[in-house]
Parts: sequence; C-alpha cells; structure tokens
Amino acid sequence: MNKKVNNLNVTGIILPLIILLAWQLSVQSGMFPPAILPPIGDVARAFLNMMESGLLVGDILVSLTRVLRGYLLAIFAGVTLGTLMGTSKHINDFFTLTLNSIRQIPILAWIPLIILWLGIGEESKVAVIFLASFFPILINTISGMRSTPKGLVEVAALYKLSGWMTFKKVYFPSALPQIFVGLKLGLGISWVAVVAAELIAASSGIGFRISDARSMMEPDVMIVGMISIGVLGVSMDKALTLLLDRITPWKK
Amino acid sequence: MRGLAIKDLNKIFSTNCGDVTALKDINLDIKKGEFVTILGHSGCGKSTLLKIIAGLESASSGSITYGETKITGPGTDRGMVFQEHRLLPWLTIDENVGFGLVNESKAVREKLVTDHLKMVKLDGFHKAYPHQLSGGMAQRAAIARGLVNNPEILLLDEPFGALDALTRIQMQKEILKIWESEKTTMIMVTHDIDEAIYLGQRIVVMSAGPGKIRSVINGDSYESKDRGSLEFARIKKQILGYFFEEENINPEYMI
Repeated sequence: MNKKVNNLNVTGIILPLIILLAWQLSVQSGMFPPAILPPIGDVARAFLNMMESGLLVGDILVSLTRVLRGYLLAIFAGVTLGTLMGTSKHINDFFTLTLNSIRQIPILAWIPLIILWLGIGEESKVAVIFLASFFPILINTISGMRSTPKGLVEVAALYKLSGWMTFKKVYFPSALPQIFVGLKLGLGISWVAVVAAELIAASSGIGFRISDARSMMEPDVMIVGMISIGVLGVSMDKALTLLLDRITPWKK
Repeated sequence: MRGLAIKDLNKIFSTNCGDVTALKDINLDIKKGEFVTILGHSGCGKSTLLKIIAGLESASSGSITYGETKITGPGTDRGMVFQEHRLLPWLTIDENVGFGLVNESKAVREKLVTDHLKMVKLDGFHKAYPHQLSGGMAQRAAIARGLVNNPEILLLDEPFGALDALTRIQMQKEILKIWESEKTTMIMVTHDIDEAIYLGQRIVVMSAGPGKIRSVINGDSYESKDRGSLEFARIKKQILGYFFEEENINPEYMI
C-alpha cells in the first residue's frame, strides 16, 4: 500500500519537473523576454521578498479568510437545503426550478450586482464566494441523499426509527462521500470566485496582488500569486480527502 | 394463544399501465411458534405479503391481526431478514445487530448483542464492518439483528437466496436450530422447493398473476425433514405438479 503511494508521488512529480525545465530552457534560449516570462530565479527571489515583507502571508490570510467565510456559509446552506431537497419531494419540487435557473448564471455576471448591493467591502466578496460554492455542494448533497439505498431506509422503518434518527444513521452516512465530492468542487470554485472578486474590486488579497502586479509590470509577482493559490488549493483538497478517509472508516 | 390471522387480504398496485393486483383474497392463519414457508414464482406477490405482515406496506383491503391487535405498521413484535443482508455499511457488526435497540440501556444492549452474535456463531466479529464478512456471515448477522429485540415473529424474505448451495444448506440447519431454541414464529418466503419442504411445518404454495394461495401442504412429519426420504420426494412432486400442471398431460392421449 505504502509503496503504491510512493510510486504515485514519484510519477506525479515528473510532469512539474518537465514544465520547470522547459520554462528555464525557454528563458535561457531567449525565446521569451523576462518581462513576459521571468526566469525561475526571479520568481523565487520575488517569493522570498514577499515572504520577508509579510506581503504574501498577509495576502494569503486575507483571501483565505474570505474563502473560508463564504465557503463555510455555503457548506451550511448547501448541506442543509440539499438534505431537505434530497429527502422530501415537496421541498424539492418547490425549489428546483428557481435554483436551477439561478445556477445557470455565471458567477462573474453576479459581481456587478453584488457590488451594487453590498459595496466593495468584505461582504461582497463573501457573497460571491458563497454563491459560487453553494451550488456544487447543494447538488451533490441532493444526489447523495437520493442515492441512499431504499432497502436501508426500509430497515430503519422496520425498527420505527424517528425521522431524525433515520437521517443520522442512514441518509447522512450514505450521502457523506457524495457530499464530499461537492465540498471539493465547492472549494475549488471558492478560489476562482475570490480571485475574480479581488481582481475587480479589492485593495488586498491574492487576486488583488496579481492584478496590482500586472499594472506594475511584475510578472514574477503574478506567478508567485498564482502558484500560491495552486499550492493552497491542492493542500485544502488533500485535507478534505484525509478528513473523508478518517470519518468513513468503513470505506477501506 | 392466537397467532397471526390474515383475512381476505388484497393488494393492488397502481402503475403507469393501470392497476396490478399483486395479492388476491389471501386467507391464512399462522399459529404461534409455527414455521411456515411460502413458496412461489418470482413476482407472485409473496414478498409483498411478507412486507404487509411486517407493516412496511399497507393492504388495499382485508386485514392482518396478530393476537388481538390489527397490524397497521412496523412493530418490534416482528423482525425481518431480507435477501440482501441490508446491514448498514458504516456500522460495525455489533452496532448493526443493536440497530433496533434504541430504547435499551447500553449495558442491556451490549448483552443482547453479544448473546445474539454468539447464537449465530459470530462472536469475535463485533468490530468488523459488513464488507469484511462473507455472504453467509453477513446473513447471520442480519438474522441476529432480526432476533435481537426478541420478536414473536421472524419474517424471512428469501434470506438464503443469494448464498451458494452448501452455505445455504448449512444456514437452513442453523435457522431450524434457532427456531427450536427460541420458539419464534417463522414465516419464510422462498422459491427453493427443497428449502420450503425442509424448513416448513406447512408449505404455502402461491400462484402468480394475481398472487393467490394455491394450496397449503403439511410438511411436518419427521420424514419430510430428510431430503432423501420418499415423503420428501412425494411432497416435492406434489408441489411441482402445482407449478407445471399444464405439462401434466394425461399419458393416454400422448401415444
């Protein structure tokens, strides 16, 4: 088992190394001027400078706080409503048309209206993130609840379990893996949304930093910002995977 | 000591293509402590009948009474075992067996679970998850779950249908032993003729479309429990006659 994981990691590292090598070679060969594609060394230096000045950590914390606030709200609302819609036909019929229509609107189209309503402060960013990550969580929760085997629900009925106990003992554990699919998708989209919101209206955060670096012609800073988002996103996704493995020991 | 009384029971399902009569005029009395097998084709409504007795489905007309009370929903006086073990994958075996014991104290629950796991020869598997058990073992755990709150009736819906032939015979022997020691009324639905004869004191033969009781055969003699006996063969022939009567053309006309 362990060996397999190691093999996987080694295999997974090959492509990033190739990309780095290609990057370095194309810069050295003079194919791209440093103002378009900075050398890896410049990016590393920019990274160290930003770490030293606390700029990067500050930006990450600002963006991360926004992501977490919007995302946690979306988890709460998405899992709650998804549970209700996935277990009750009436509630589902009531909401489906409306939510499905809203879902078709791209998150970027929401931003102007959200800024109009909530200003350019924190609320509008949290709202954008909430709106973006709510739907994948909702839809996967509904689908998870619905795919609960009817036979197991029948067993709960046989023992006259209350609605709450049936939810707790049957529906919820059955839907958990699917809910986590939604949580992962929602998290990915949260990062998209926070950067989008910060690119348009913000004075701090990773998205702002990238946009600011564009106006200052600092491609190395842009790349540091982008890589940071990538690394953070992967780590949080991995954390969710570990959490799921931990709370679903029967899946091994 | 009144047992289970099924009276003029009908069940009609409404489907897209009109109403389908699943059960028609079912009348059956089952004594306390009796082992009754219900035999029939797939789709003859025998599982539906069992579900109505369990209280998971309601009858379209007619009634089922147990003792003095009319059955209107599930109750702890009736346990049920399904063809699939239906153990909850996220609960360990002891949690699964104790699933229905929500009102008991922890100590009582633990004792009951331990006793019943011992009864189905699963002691030592308390903390295993269902997917770690073989089909036969999982079905034993399901039987333990069905019996743990000491029901007066155990309903068995083709419980050994998915097991291999050897495990099935083993499980049939064990369920007989459990029946003899626990004195639980057993009602088992099956499509396995041998199983029905071997286990049932009475064998209820059902015909399909709509599901009706064709005949009730007495299979309670000592001989009929021996798969090699003449009596066993005689009952089997009689049952086969019910299912394939259209093929029993009088030989005289065949020549």
